[in-house]
Amino acid sequence: MAEEKKAGISRRAFVLGGLAVALVALAVLFYTGGGREEIRHIAETVLPKAAPSEEETGGRVSVTLFFLSDDDDLLHRETREIAAGPTPADEAERALEELIKGSEKDYLSPLPPQARVRQVFVNKDGTAYVDFGKEIMEKFSYGSSSELAAVYAVVNTLAVNFRPIKRVVILVEGAERETLGGHVDLSRPFAANLALVAK
Amino acid sequence: MLSDAGSIPAASTSFGSSDVLNNRKLLTRAAGLPLLLFFAGSLSVAGLSGQVPSQGPPAARGAERIKTVVIDPGHGGIEVGAKGKFGNLEKEITLAVGLKLKALIEKNMAFNVVMTRDRDVDVSIENRSAIANNHKADIFISIHANGALQKKAQGSETFFLNLNATDEETRRLAYLENNSSQLESRIDPSSDDDLMMILWDMAQTAYIRESSRLAEMVQGELNALLGTRNRGIKQAPFKVLAGVACPAILVEAAFLSNPEEEKRLASEQFQAGIADAIYRGLARYLRSVT
Ligand SMILES: [Zn+2]
Repeated sequence: MAEEKKAGISRRAFVLGGLAVALVALAVLFYTGGGREEIRHIAETVLPKAAPSEEETGGRVSVTLFFLSDDDDLLHRETREIAAGPTPADEAERALEELIKGSEKDYLSPLPPQARVRQVFVNKDGTAYVDFGKEIMEKFSYGSSSELAAVYAVVNTLAVNFRPIKRVVILVEGAERETLGGHVDLSRPFAANLALVAK
Repeated sequence: MLSDAGSIPAASTSFGSSDVLNNRKLLTRAAGLPLLLFFAGSLSVAGLSGQVPSQGPPAARGAERIKTVVIDPGHGGIEVGAKGKFGNLEKEITLAVGLKLKALIEKNMAFNVVMTRDRDVDVSIENRSAIANNHKADIFISIHANGALQKKAQGSETFFLNLNATDEETRRLAYLENNSSQLESRIDPSSDDDLMMILWDMAQTAYIRESSRLAEMVQGELNALLGTRNRGIKQAPFKVLAGVACPAILVEAAFLSNPEEEKRLASEQFQAGIADAIYRGLARYLRSVT
């Protein structure tokens, strides 16, 4: 028993020690090498804009937006028509603008009406980067529930409607943020979450 | 030894003024391979032992090995959190509850209690995790009051981390496919990124089962003591939970956005009830790990 305890402790110490050593060494490497190339890296891998197709000249596409209902804790679908093309990123940006405008039914908007989309990139690997203006952080005082709703309304609106988009990264003013309001981790890409959506 | 937010400056200098990236991202930069492999080795030990009861940390760590409890009152300073219509702020309620919980634990248990803040100050989420990790937290409890757009939303819930397992699994497999042979010569900056993420996730996964048990016990006490609607235990990708290397929960005591619950949350009696419920849940959890 005592042996086992000792083994457990030393194993744990080993793990923590390894973590600490790695952290310190990598901090040094970080400062001497590399740097903040995230945004440039994203910019380089943006899909080139496709040549204008016939579709974009007056074409419309139907998209599903996600809003909240006063009666439950779920996201509810509402369809909306937006101008088509030329790229998925352009359509995604329009879909988000419709999401921000709010519901045409009685649903609640999960995003502050002042929210602003600065840009949407879609990476070759299927990651969409949505860059919001600072209003999305400043105009709401988020609790866990409203922050989860805001994040997944955005993520689902992109990942459910646009086949090239498999996961979504949310940026604010061109940079990665910890959270929108103190809860949901924005450092990882999100996949669509249909568990939060009403049937 | 008794620590409090007086230790925040120390944590800040080692981990992070605003230009320092979070733990994981730090690890993802230009990592040297030998270091990575060493790190991989040590973490996989932790990951495996997490699967086998009665062996090593963290799953079967007895209560006697738990020495430090870190309490994290959500928000603070300019970051007010949710707001009630009567003007109550989440940051005030979380701090009041956190201090009461600290007092209860110190009075009745022999643990070292560390607060991520003990007054109305900004603390980045990164620093909250760093404070916990620097103090070798054995249990991490983040305290919040909820906010929803739906005015009727009400009740208590307790969260633990959701790492989005399917996505991790995909990444792990993709990584193994691309790097199974000639690891050394083929590793590139982007796969460093993936590898470090996988390693961190492995460590986190090892704590999730314990976190869910702790969440369950705290949630049970919240409902029993507060008489709030039971919203159950849930998983979410909350930043503060993702950075902490021990069992970790986030308690949403009630809804500030619900006027009835806001009144209750603002009362000292209800705040004491929340602290008491968390304390009792913690005590039950500790008995169960002995
Ligand atoms: Zn909160």
